Amino acid sequence: MKQIVDRLRQEAARLLAAGDVAMVIGYAKGTDVARTTPYFATNEEEAQNLTWNPFCTNNLVKYLLDFRFEDTKLAVVVKGCDSKGINRLIYDRQFPRERVVVLGVPCGGLLDRSKVLATIDPGAELQSVEDLGQEFVVRTDHGEFTFAKEQYLLPKCAVCRNPNPVISDVLLGEELPVAEEEKSDTFDDIVEMEALDPAAKSAFWDRHFNRCLRCYACRNVCPACNCRECAFEQAVPGWQQEACWLSKKASVDNNYTFHLIRMFDVTGRCIDCGECERVCPVNIPLRKLYRKVIKDVQELFGDTTPGLNIGDGLPLTSYRKEDPEEFM
Amino acid sequence: MEQAVRNPLLPQPATIEKIIPETGDVNTFRVTLDNAEAMTRWRHEPGQLAMLSVFGVGEAMFSISSSPTQREYLEFSIKRMGKVTTALHGLEEGAKIGLRGPYGNYFPYEKMKGKDLLFIGGGIGLAPLRSLIDFVLADENRGDYGKVEIIYGARSYDDLCFKRQIFEEWPQKEGTAVYTTIDREEEQWDGHVGFVPAYVEEIAPAAGNKIALTCGPPIMIKFVLQAMEKLGFKDEQIYSTLELRMKCGIGKCGRCNIGSKFVCLDGPVFNLTEIKELPPEF
Amino acid sequence: MTVKLINKDRFNVFLERLASGNELVAPIEEDGNIFYRRVTSVNEITLEADAFCFAPKGHFFPQYEVLYKYQQGSNALVLEEPGPAGPSVLLGVKPCDARALLSLDPVFDGNYKDAYYLDKRVKTTIIGLSCRKVRYNCFCRAFGFGPTSGEGADLFLTEVKDGYLAEALTSKGEALLKDYSDLFTETGVDGALQEKEQLAVQLDTQFKRKVDLDGVKARLDNMFEHPYWERLARKCLTCGICTFVCPTCHCFDIIDENGGGSNCGSRLRCWDACMFTDFTLHTSGHNPRPGKKERVRNRFMHKLKYHLDRYRVTGCVGCGRCIEKCPVNMDIIQVIAEIKEVG
Repeated sequence: MKQIVDRLRQEAARLLAAGDVAMVIGYAKGTDVARTTPYFATNEEEAQNLTWNPFCTNNLVKYLLDFRFEDTKLAVVVKGCDSKGINRLIYDRQFPRERVVVLGVPCGGLLDRSKVLATIDPGAELQSVEDLGQEFVVRTDHGEFTFAKEQYLLPKCAVCRNPNPVISDVLLGEELPVAEEEKSDTFDDIVEMEALDPAAKSAFWDRHFNRCLRCYACRNVCPACNCRECAFEQAVPGWQQEACWLSKKASVDNNYTFHLIRMFDVTGRCIDCGECERVCPVNIPLRKLYRKVIKDVQELFGDTTPGLNIGDGLPLTSYRKEDPEEFM
Repeated sequence: MEQAVRNPLLPQPATIEKIIPETGDVNTFRVTLDNAEAMTRWRHEPGQLAMLSVFGVGEAMFSISSSPTQREYLEFSIKRMGKVTTALHGLEEGAKIGLRGPYGNYFPYEKMKGKDLLFIGGGIGLAPLRSLIDFVLADENRGDYGKVEIIYGARSYDDLCFKRQIFEEWPQKEGTAVYTTIDREEEQWDGHVGFVPAYVEEIAPAAGNKIALTCGPPIMIKFVLQAMEKLGFKDEQIYSTLELRMKCGIGKCGRCNIGSKFVCLDGPVFNLTEIKELPPEF
Repeated sequence: MTVKLINKDRFNVFLERLASGNELVAPIEEDGNIFYRRVTSVNEITLEADAFCFAPKGHFFPQYEVLYKYQQGSNALVLEEPGPAGPSVLLGVKPCDARALLSLDPVFDGNYKDAYYLDKRVKTTIIGLSCRKVRYNCFCRAFGFGPTSGEGADLFLTEVKDGYLAEALTSKGEALLKDYSDLFTETGVDGALQEKEQLAVQLDTQFKRKVDLDGVKARLDNMFEHPYWERLARKCLTCGICTFVCPTCHCFDIIDENGGGSNCGSRLRCWDACMFTDFTLHTSGHNPRPGKKERVRNRFMHKLKYHLDRYRVTGCVGCGRCIEKCPVNMDIIQVIAEIKEVG
């Protein structure tokens, strides 16, 4: 992993020094041992603060949107999962390909922060991390720790099918092998949910949505949520002047409305980066919602994974004669 | 168990008695409280604010544009802009609304006694100033103040508010001068044409023993203040009102802060010295 | 000040009786989250938790509440306030959260008294509880109190070997000890007090992150235009997490909800966040705090300066919740250190 970090800093410094990009969006050391923070390097010196390790969870692609109306060129560090977001933004004309240099990192999986913190003192100083394939060896000033991937990876990483970036200008490491059986998603979690009877499903979501704080972290972190002005935030909603169609009152009915509208909005565009679920402060299993529609779209329109490449016609934005129409 | 305290967020039922069209998009709403005793007890100071409610739509804060000397009713001169103002404009005479207040500080008219007053307004910005103009021009107060000059402009003739007062009532009072201007030439208009700040420089009122009060669009205020400086006005001679989005009006909801100040409690009236001490975030 | 002791068995009886005679609100776990909620069975209460727990401010200032109902006829308008709050007991309040209420009080009190907050405040008895562990991001010490400080609570408990030490800090606390005097004893109080002192010393060594607020306010007084804010704000997602988990954040919106026809409904207030785009947006489209920089700056200024300027109490109590929950590792401890560096 040290080679990747060295290569990243070198590449970032080179891009910044040559004036090829105005900023490199990457990760830097966080404020505890199992955390990193999004970092915006603007010169060679700052490039040396960039880092890479299995705590680099944030999907940095979202930050491109902050610069979409400028004309500067940016570099962004992406993992396989995040990289699909770049393709999505390019396809949706949210960010031009020529303005972004993609620094791709082959990713052997991310460690579950809460599980790691149960083992390592959060105040420990991270010295190095080594990816041994089946496990990570984490060296700190409090000692060396081995985390078996089977046990310590984030759930989304355990079933990852894109450890290598699907788009990159510079690949910061060796491509990782992908086993054949890992290539298709079996949606076990969703099948399990679908098997519940309606009352149980309803009780499940009632309980989870009831505690939604409507902090909008899921929306704000989501690379598929790229509207300039969110419908939920319009002071005077355009098509209904008097009745705001989503009340700010965070009651379970309104929260359903919010989450289900968001679910439909990201249908066919959600890249399943899992950021929504990670950032939720009240542990709502949001991926279950979005993965359900990913599954549905796949069943209806064939195996389409949003963001695998720039040009793929998205099921809900393109028309094919053979599209199902049983609802018409 | 008894409720521990009286509820300041609860509006009083009120009735729109009269709607006076001022311009294409400004109406003056004449309002009385339904509780006659509450109406008799009502007191406000020039420059203060009140929260008006259209139930089912929302609440918004407005300056009270009538003078405290007018004890029969309150007036609010309101431009149709957003949700609540649009709803207000859709109401008819006799409609029920909610009213709570008065809120905020006011023009320090005590400190202005014995001085000449210069009012500079643009568009709907004359509304808060009108409360003080009518207050100092009221018979019982007129003797306390010197010359009253009013410079007022709007985009067009139609956009001038309070036409009866600016063209008839105020100029006829003793010791007053009213100057009006519109931004662009119009066929029926034989008065001054040009922006307010330029007109201020043209009229060049002497700073002397004078207090200046200005209110209007932010861009107008900015250039008026530059003009005033050229004319030799000191910061403490100039007053303006600030306006921010408000919800509670009583310093709880946290959205009208400029630095450590809440505009709903510490404003809306600030003199230029105070404004310059605020972080530039309004 | 009365100090007594209650053993573990009797403590359960105490809880049972509190729950039956009052509205009892205490930490309750749900899907890995701990919220203060109304207790229906004392078995639900998770007092031992060292885990992250949401602040109890919602008991006084709920995420949403009806201010009044309106009914508008053709020539009459009827506004109906909700009934007054009943008596309640808030149990297991951490020292930082009890202290946070003292920061919220002057906001909702003052010349205009907020009937909703104060009504519940007056009618609630707060039973505080010493922490048993200092979490990594705790920094209450920087604000002059610690994990065994009871300030803000009416009755303050500390778990000891034989049960709970109970210190009455206000007349409400005294009343509680009197009402339940059959359960509390004076025997062993001295030993328990010593135990509490030892706990305080031991907890003091657990603070990992050093925070020194000295000079921070003075620097902020002159830092409004500093380029630091622009840099700091880049990573912010402007979500509402930090404000919603904060025990001292009090911003709200007021909204109308029509129900059962267009002429009746409710006016509510609900939590709002200074991080949101539309928070300060004018109807004209002008926004005094249009971007991340302005909003992030406002939040830290509010926590470390504005609140102090206005109310003479800090707007932060060092609970560390915003640090823990921030998705991008915006860390107020780091911000404090950086302000001292760059300011």
